[in-house]
Amino acid sequence: MPKKATILRTLMITAVMALAIQSAGAQNNTLDRAKVVRAAADALGMVRWSDIGAGATRLAGVDVINTMEFQGSGTSYSSGQAFKTEYHVALGYNPAAMRVDMTRTGAGGGAPQHSIQTVRETYAWNESETGGGLVPGKGTATPAMTALKDRLLQLWTLPYGVVKAALAAGEKTTVSMENGATVITFPLSGQLAGITVKATLDSKNFVTKVETRPDNPALANLAMETEYSDYADRGEVPTDIKSPGRIVQKQGGRPMLDIQVKMWEANNPYLVFPVPPNVKTASR
Amino acid sequence: MRLSGYSRIIVAAAVLCLLPAAVFGQEFSQIPRTSNAPPKPSGTTPRTPDGHPDLTGVWNGLGDNLLGVPNQIANNGLAIESETSTRDLHSGLLIATFPRATTRPLNNEQSERAASLLRRVGSNRPVYKPEYWEMVKNLDHNANEEDPSNNCMPAGIPRAGIPSYIGQTPTYFIFIYPGQGGLIATQTMYRMIPSDGRKHTPLQDLDGTYTGESIAHWEGDTLVVDAWGFTSNTWFDQIGGYFHSENMHVIERFHRDGNTLTWTATVEDPDVLLEPWTTTPRVALLNPRPDAMLPESLPCSERDLGHIVTKEHH
Repeated sequence: MPKKATILRTLMITAVMALAIQSAGAQNNTLDRAKVVRAAADALGMVRWSDIGAGATRLAGVDVINTMEFQGSGTSYSSGQAFKTEYHVALGYNPAAMRVDMTRTGAGGGAPQHSIQTVRETYAWNESETGGGLVPGKGTATPAMTALKDRLLQLWTLPYGVVKAALAAGEKTTVSMENGATVITFPLSGQLAGITVKATLDSKNFVTKVETRPDNPALANLAMETEYSDYADRGEVPTDIKSPGRIVQKQGGRPMLDIQVKMWEANNPYLVFPVPPNVKTASR
Repeated sequence: MRLSGYSRIIVAAAVLCLLPAAVFGQEFSQIPRTSNAPPKPSGTTPRTPDGHPDLTGVWNGLGDNLLGVPNQIANNGLAIESETSTRDLHSGLLIATFPRATTRPLNNEQSERAASLLRRVGSNRPVYKPEYWEMVKNLDHNANEEDPSNNCMPAGIPRAGIPSYIGQTPTYFIFIYPGQGGLIATQTMYRMIPSDGRKHTPLQDLDGTYTGESIAHWEGDTLVVDAWGFTSNTWFDQIGGYFHSENMHVIERFHRDGNTLTWTATVEDPDVLLEPWTTTPRVALLNPRPDAMLPESLPCSERDLGHIVTKEHH
């Protein structure tokens, strides 16, 4: 019969070991790539499943983000000048595409500048009106291939793009702690190969800061820093998808865009991005 | 032996520390079916005396409730193959897939919102002319009020999808679409489709109907049903606000392989579409029971619409 002191010592050692195991596990969890990226996806409401009418079927959770639309207003900057800006974005990830409809008015007044900048996979073009260049006589499309990478980067540095790209990068994605915050770092691929993304999460696992760093100094214009804050479900059709309420973008420390989001429709709305025939031809 | 209070706390802490691993190990251990991917065919394809595949039978979807979310996701073109793999059948893109974060059932609101997203996430979308983009988006956005199949109206063709019963003779087919509750709460539809070599009535001589004028012919072992003469008062897919004009032309293809029936529909409508659109193939399974019957549909009596006060999708 062991003595009471021996039993107590054994129990204490067991407890300490158990706590150490869990502590090590927690540390590993914090730094586990899959868990960190999953937590970021869950915070945004990206991973979903539903059993309505499913009978005996129990499907896994899937990434439900494809198309989105958001609108906001604020300030954009160009050549050191500030412009009052109305910002309307339609985007999709399957296929990767984005249409940015922007109206800017200078501080001195004057006629507003309106632009529609579109990108889809390997094509970039400007539209004179939404869908311009697709139907003869209804607007024009002007190829803008030099803007391809910049526009794709805008898409993939949105919070949802960051999570998708981090997942797609697989084992090249790393997670770490910096100043008490979780950081996800990964390389982009395809048209954006050679650019590294560093995304910082807050305590609720929301993507709050995204920094891009091109390997090639010639692409320094693609080094950007974007901050996202004030996450909420902003769709008129509720989805439980969380979207940022404010977007602030800087380049080389200088402000580029500061937008307050009014609406963010996440229920995979009908948004399409067909490439106009003349853009396809010009890009060959 | 009695432990002191301090010791009991330590023991309890140790147990609690080790518990999550034990519980996690049991999670997901009793999942009976984890895929909505199209079923693989089995058995031989029976043929009629004239040599064509025999499509006669009761066709029961993928094995679950035809209106269940797994089938709706499949109809939207997403094949969830396992707990780690999902493919968009139209684009071929792999969609990130994760084990469920919990085994607890979702509440109704969570389930409905997730279902609404899942029904729309696929990439296979018809491309309308740009002047209709906003209209389509708004129709889907306001589907609670705008969906023309509300108030027990027929779903129409091709929205009705694969018929639940096909009867085949040498000169005509009978398709039956039972009335449904839920997402497409509609009345029963039937079609009598000649396959005797006749030609279409000129479009301008037809009054638009929900199922159109349908004529069938064989292309090899595939039954092709060509239809026009539609009312514009339907949408051509289950979700999406996909309206059409009275000039819509629909070509459906049915191909039987053993106990499976693969269906696609191509929609041509140059009035509103930029290009023809083809559904992602859907696969139904034959009900194997020789005595299988279609039960009588419940009368469609709309009682919910008046209570819907938000744009939340159902």
